[in-house]
Amino acid sequence: MVEKVEFKNYREMPIRAMTISSMLWNLTGSWRNVRPYYDFKTSPCRLGCPTGENIQRYIYLITEKKYDEAWKTIIEDNPMPAITGRVCYHPCMSECTRKDYDEAVNINALERFIGDQGFQNPQWMEKAKRSKKEKIAVIGSGPAGLTCAFYLARRGYPVTIFEKEKALGGVLRWGIPEYRLPNQVLDKAIASILESGPIEVKTSIKLGKGISLSQLEDEFQAIFLGIGLSQSRELGVKNEAGKGVVPGLEFLHRINSGEKVDAGKKVVVIGGGNTAMDVARCALRSGSEVTVVYRRTINEMPAISEEIEEAEKEGVKLHFLASPLEIIRTKNTLSGVVFQQMKLGDPDESGRRRPVPIEGETFTMKVDTLFTAIGETADLEGLEEKLEQKWNLILTFGENGNTSREKVFAGGDVVKGAASVVEAIAAGKKAAAKIDRLLANEPEPEIEDPHTVGIEDMNTDYFTESKRNRVPRIPQAEVTGSFREIKTGFDDVLAHSEADRCFSCGVCNYCDNCWVYCPDVAIKRLRDEYEIDYDYCKGCLVCVHECPRNALSTREEGK
Amino acid sequence: MKPAKMPLEELMSSGHLACQGCGATQAMRFALKVLGPKTVLAIPACCWSVIDGSFPNSCIDLPIYHTAFETAAVVASGLKAGLEMRGDTESTVMAWAGDGGTFDIGLQALSGAAERNEDIIYVCYDNEAYMNTGIQRSSSTPVGAWTTTTPVTNFKKRPKKNMVEIMAAHSIPYIATASTAYPEDFMRKMQIAKETRGTKYIQILAPCPTGWKAPPELSVSLARRAVTSKIYPILEITRNGQKLKVWKDFKPTPVRDYLLAQGRFRHLKDAEIKTIEREVEDNWQRLLAKEKMLESIPGFGE
Repeated sequence: MVEKVEFKNYREMPIRAMTISSMLWNLTGSWRNVRPYYDFKTSPCRLGCPTGENIQRYIYLITEKKYDEAWKTIIEDNPMPAITGRVCYHPCMSECTRKDYDEAVNINALERFIGDQGFQNPQWMEKAKRSKKEKIAVIGSGPAGLTCAFYLARRGYPVTIFEKEKALGGVLRWGIPEYRLPNQVLDKAIASILESGPIEVKTSIKLGKGISLSQLEDEFQAIFLGIGLSQSRELGVKNEAGKGVVPGLEFLHRINSGEKVDAGKKVVVIGGGNTAMDVARCALRSGSEVTVVYRRTINEMPAISEEIEEAEKEGVKLHFLASPLEIIRTKNTLSGVVFQQMKLGDPDESGRRRPVPIEGETFTMKVDTLFTAIGETADLEGLEEKLEQKWNLILTFGENGNTSREKVFAGGDVVKGAASVVEAIAAGKKAAAKIDRLLANEPEPEIEDPHTVGIEDMNTDYFTESKRNRVPRIPQAEVTGSFREIKTGFDDVLAHSEADRCFSCGVCNYCDNCWVYCPDVAIKRLRDEYEIDYDYCKGCLVCVHECPRNALSTREEGK
Repeated sequence: MKPAKMPLEELMSSGHLACQGCGATQAMRFALKVLGPKTVLAIPACCWSVIDGSFPNSCIDLPIYHTAFETAAVVASGLKAGLEMRGDTESTVMAWAGDGGTFDIGLQALSGAAERNEDIIYVCYDNEAYMNTGIQRSSSTPVGAWTTTTPVTNFKKRPKKNMVEIMAAHSIPYIATASTAYPEDFMRKMQIAKETRGTKYIQILAPCPTGWKAPPELSVSLARRAVTSKIYPILEITRNGQKLKVWKDFKPTPVRDYLLAQGRFRHLKDAEIKTIEREVEDNWQRLLAKEKMLESIPGFGE
């Protein structure tokens, strides 16, 4: 505290009027009626991400070239950024504030960039040692199972993964074609998860064959079921059984095993989801002419629009408003399919318009192979009567994956139905945390109320419009007929240019603006932090208004 | 626009007596960060003669000479001469005056100093009225504005005096305008002024939330809108008044938004706003035409 200099009489005064002290005795903070304070919010992208990745933070760390910290930030919520960076349907980008300004930040590509950096730097992954005695079984090694195993192993629990196939990966290996997710990327991602802690793997073991749930319950203290959906739904039309009608998943499985599959010249895929698109594009790459037949229109298709665009670009034909009625077989071989012409009726409970048959209007298509991709169901054999089920899925209670049995948890597609990789990851992560709480006898954490920000909270004076950086691709000529990965990913330059576009909504990224504009020199610029000196802050709120990203809030004094 | 970067050194401290959101205070802080400790200030009667504190205290860690209203430029000239007599050719002398002490009362002294090309920096922090004495109109007050001497029933009808043109007519080496919303630009201009010999005139728009009847948090925002709405062009005049460079790299914003954000313009009727909009555009076009014309003089591009 600086004392105010005052003269008692003229003898104390200097000969000339001159300054001999500062004004720091004058605590102007008493003028303030509103108080600014640093108040970081949750970026909308993070709220949009099912597994809640701290997207703002890792993008900030990319701009600072701290790739290792960026990678570790993602790993907190998602153990496989290289995979989600390739196949995620990126709901984060639909929430990005920048979409209301020019174009959403290409978060997906940045995630892949950091994920690939992680492969080059395996030392980033910290290795956990067994520190707990409780053993945990994870059934199924898809995204949900792998994630659950990863977060439990990290906490020191010994985990055993049971997989019915010879190799790990589940839907990542058998359901997603190589041109979107190359096997070597998947292998590296799985290897890094398995090396992260005490994880044991048992392949070629199917639940219900050899081992049962009750056996597992005796041996393990907790069990996580991430068995996914492994059976294609049947069309339910006349003459369906027989050669030429192939479940889409089976086809993808064979393709992804590296088998060459000849599907004949004319191929028709029934369905409008992501599996239909994958099957169509794989069939195209195997040399067939492919038509996707969907009973509604392009607006109702559940597939990611990007996948539809890609499929069309590659030469897949889309035929709308038709539904198979009958398979025509001559001498037990498929020769054609009769289709019913449809029209759109009233919206159903999903909000999409329901397809209604137009009486009497049918047509026949010549088909060599018909792939079905109208949805997948779970294979719950061996689980029956032990776990409560709903619509042939495992019924869970709450969002942590609790099932009707105390020690058994479930997550991913086997709970949600055909959902997404990132939702499966989120389910695995939540179940792991819940299992840990259960075994350690810890209370439930308090749920925070995440307040977020939107474009109206930003000071857009500090931003300039720019186009999103697109992910580089291999030439279109090389796309057809090959299973090479289509997208090649960002390099350093593109990653930085894209990371710079992030508004860092609601979270300080040390732009200095508050410090620069404070008329009262009341903001201290510390290392990686600012501090408001309330002894002097007059409460003008210039800092709050000039913060480009709304990282400050205000509060009335005395309240 | 990216957020500004600026030096860490502070020559101005907290505890000063400026109102909340004061633009003049921001401007001083930016200027001192460039000029550094070897600087002497001459401050006439203006807000800043109050802001820096009461004798014998001051918020500025530099020698300040408080002068009579009309004498900032001539006192600065004398300070510089005195320093040179003592062999100090290094220190910078800056006159720091408001628009009243520059456009009106101190114009004679400034004109004299500029004509003699005294080696001083003259900064006018332009808050567009006599704010310190209670918001009376100055010749810098823009057309249409309310002040206590131009009440809403009889708001200011005459346009703002073109001080930059007056200074350009003195053939001095460096003239610039700036805005508190663009600190990097202002600090760059201060750096040029520091390194140039002769009279340098810099006029910085420093919003006065109190006098402009605007919320203090809009201080910087108004300083920015004044520029982007073309009301307050940011420019540099070099080569003794012969070369003009106008900053144009911004996304234009409506004049109307700038005016209506401030209480001092809120009485304006639609037709009056339209007239102002037209005048702003005319002035802007005239400025650009002049920039082009000066460029096209043979032999001047080199």
